[in-house]
Amino acid sequence: MEGPPSGGPGTHMSIEVRNLTKSFGSFAALRDVSFTVHSGELVALLGPSGSGKTTLLRVIAGLEAPDTGSVLFDGDDATKRDPRERGVGFVFQHYALFRHMSVFENVAFGLRVRPRDQRPSEDEITRRVHELLGLVQLDYLGDRYPSQLSGGQRQRVALARALAVEPRVLLLDEPFGALDAKVRQELRRWLRRLHQEIHLTSVFVTHDQEEALELANRVVVMNEGRIEQDAPPGEVIEKPATPFVSNFLGNVNLFHGRVEVEVHDDEGRPMPMELDGDRSEAVRVIVGDRVYVRPRGQIGT
Amino acid sequence: MAGVAVGAVGRPRRLTEPAGVRYLLTGIALGFLALFLVLPLAVVFVEALRNGLGPYFESIQDPDAMAALRLTLIAAAFAVPANLVFGVAAGWAIAKFRFPGRTLLTTLIDLPFAVSPVISGMVFVLLFGRNGFLGPWAADLDLRIVFAVPGIVLATMFVSFPFVAREVIPVMEATGTQEEEAARVLGASGFQTFFRVTLPNIKWGVLYGAILCNARAMGEFGAVSVVSGKIRGETNTLPLHVEILYNEYMFQAAFAVASLLTLLAVVTLIVKTVLERKLAR
Repeated sequence: MEGPPSGGPGTHMSIEVRNLTKSFGSFAALRDVSFTVHSGELVALLGPSGSGKTTLLRVIAGLEAPDTGSVLFDGDDATKRDPRERGVGFVFQHYALFRHMSVFENVAFGLRVRPRDQRPSEDEITRRVHELLGLVQLDYLGDRYPSQLSGGQRQRVALARALAVEPRVLLLDEPFGALDAKVRQELRRWLRRLHQEIHLTSVFVTHDQEEALELANRVVVMNEGRIEQDAPPGEVIEKPATPFVSNFLGNVNLFHGRVEVEVHDDEGRPMPMELDGDRSEAVRVIVGDRVYVRPRGQIGT
Repeated sequence: MAGVAVGAVGRPRRLTEPAGVRYLLTGIALGFLALFLVLPLAVVFVEALRNGLGPYFESIQDPDAMAALRLTLIAAAFAVPANLVFGVAAGWAIAKFRFPGRTLLTTLIDLPFAVSPVISGMVFVLLFGRNGFLGPWAADLDLRIVFAVPGIVLATMFVSFPFVAREVIPVMEATGTQEEEAARVLGASGFQTFFRVTLPNIKWGVLYGAILCNARAMGEFGAVSVVSGKIRGETNTLPLHVEILYNEYMFQAAFAVASLLTLLAVVTLIVKTVLERKLAR
C-alpha cells in the first residue's frame, strides 16, 4: 500500500458544530445540535432514518445551510463557506460517480477543476490517480465506466475520488448501506485500516449499530433531530443515556469476561486470535448471532 | 447437465413469437412507414421533377424562393440557439430546484404547444402592431417588427420554445442533483459543474431537443403566416412560399420549393447522425 494520500498529521481538521437547527417546511430535521469531532477521530452518526444524521453531515459539508447555529473548522467559522472551499471529502450514499467519465477521470476530477495555478501537471495527475486507485486496490479498472463496476468497487472509487483533493475531513453518508453483507464487512475492515493509516478526521452516517460500534472511536446517537448520546462505543452499550438509546441498541447483548475462547473456522481448526492491549479482560458484544471480541481498553476509551 | 446447458445457451423457444406473427408485425410496421413516410416524400420529388431538371433548378433559383430559403434559415438560426439556452436554463431550474412558481413555470413552458399557432402569431401582432401594446414604443425606435423579419423570428422562437426544455427536463430529473453536489464538494465552480457534469449527462436530450426545435422552426406555418404579411421576396419563409405558389397553380414550382424544405430536413437528420457518432464515447 502506498503512503498516505493526504498530507501528514497536523493538516487534519477538528469540526465543531454549535446549536444547529434546520427545518424542511414543517419538518424539523435538526433541533439544536452541538458536538465536536476532534482531529483524527472516526465518529459515527447513528440513528434511524429521519433522525437528521444525513442532514447534519450535509450541513457540515456545506451542501445544506442551517437555519441557525454554526459550523467551525479548527475553530474558524465556516458556516457561510462554499462547499468547494471547505476542504471536505464527501462520499455519497449512492456514490454519485460521474457516469459519463471513466474511473480514472472520476478520481482525477477534483484535481482537474482546480484553478490553473494550483492544478497539478498532467503527469502529476496521472501519478496521483494511480496512487489512489492503488490505495483502493482498483488500479486495473481505471478505464472502466461506473456502470461496469460492482457496488463495492463503486464505493471504493467514490472514496478514492473524495481523497484525491486531499481533504482535511472525510464525510461518508451511509457508506456501506447499499452493499451486500459480505462486501460490507470487507469494506468496513478496509476503511478502519485506512483510517488507522492516515488518521483523517472522519464522520460517517449509519443506521446500523453494528457498523457504528465496530468502526467508530465515538458514536453520536441521533433521534428526531436531537443528539441522544455522544460517547465511545463501549459507553453507549454499557450506559445508554436515554431509553431511546437502549432501545435502539436493544439487540446488543453485553458480556464481560476473560478471553479464553478458542475460535474455530468452518472446518473445525482452531484459529489464531489476536487482541491488542489488555488481554486479560475483554468485552464481547453480540449483535444478533455475530460475536465481536474487543479488548476492553480499546472500546472503553 | 447437457440439457441444461443447451437450454441456457439457445434462446428459449417460448420467449420468441411464432414466425408468422413476427413477419406480420414487421410487415405492418414497414407498410405503414412506406404509406405515410416514404410515399409522400417520393411524391414531393416526383412532382418537383415532373418537367425535368431544368425547370426544377429554375424554380429553386427564383429570387423569391432564394429569399424565402434565406429567411427560413435566419429564423432557425435565431430560434435554435436561443431556445437551446432558454430550454436548458428552464430545465435546470425546474429539475434541480424547488422554488415558488415552479409548477407555473412548468405549465407555461407547454403554452406554445397548447395554443394554436395562429394565436401565437396574433399575440405578436397585437403586441407589436401599430395599435398594439408595445407598438408605439417600437415605432419610436423605428423598429419594424410585425410584417418584418424580427416578427417572424419572434414567432418562430415562440412556437419552437418547448422542445429543448421538454426533452431536457426528464433527463435532468432522472439524473438528480447528486453528481452536481459531488462536483461542488470536489471544488468545481458552477461553470465547471455545468460543462463537465450536467451538460454531458443531458447531451442526448439537448441534441434531440435541438433537432425537433429546428424542424419546427423551419417548418412553422401558422404563426409565421400571421406575422409575416406575406411580402414576396421579403417576409416569406419557405412554407409560406410553397403555399403561395400552390395557390397560384404553379404546382411544379411549389413542389420544387417543398423539396428544398425536405432537403433541409434531411440535412438536419444527417447532422444529428454525425453528432450522435461524435458524442458517443
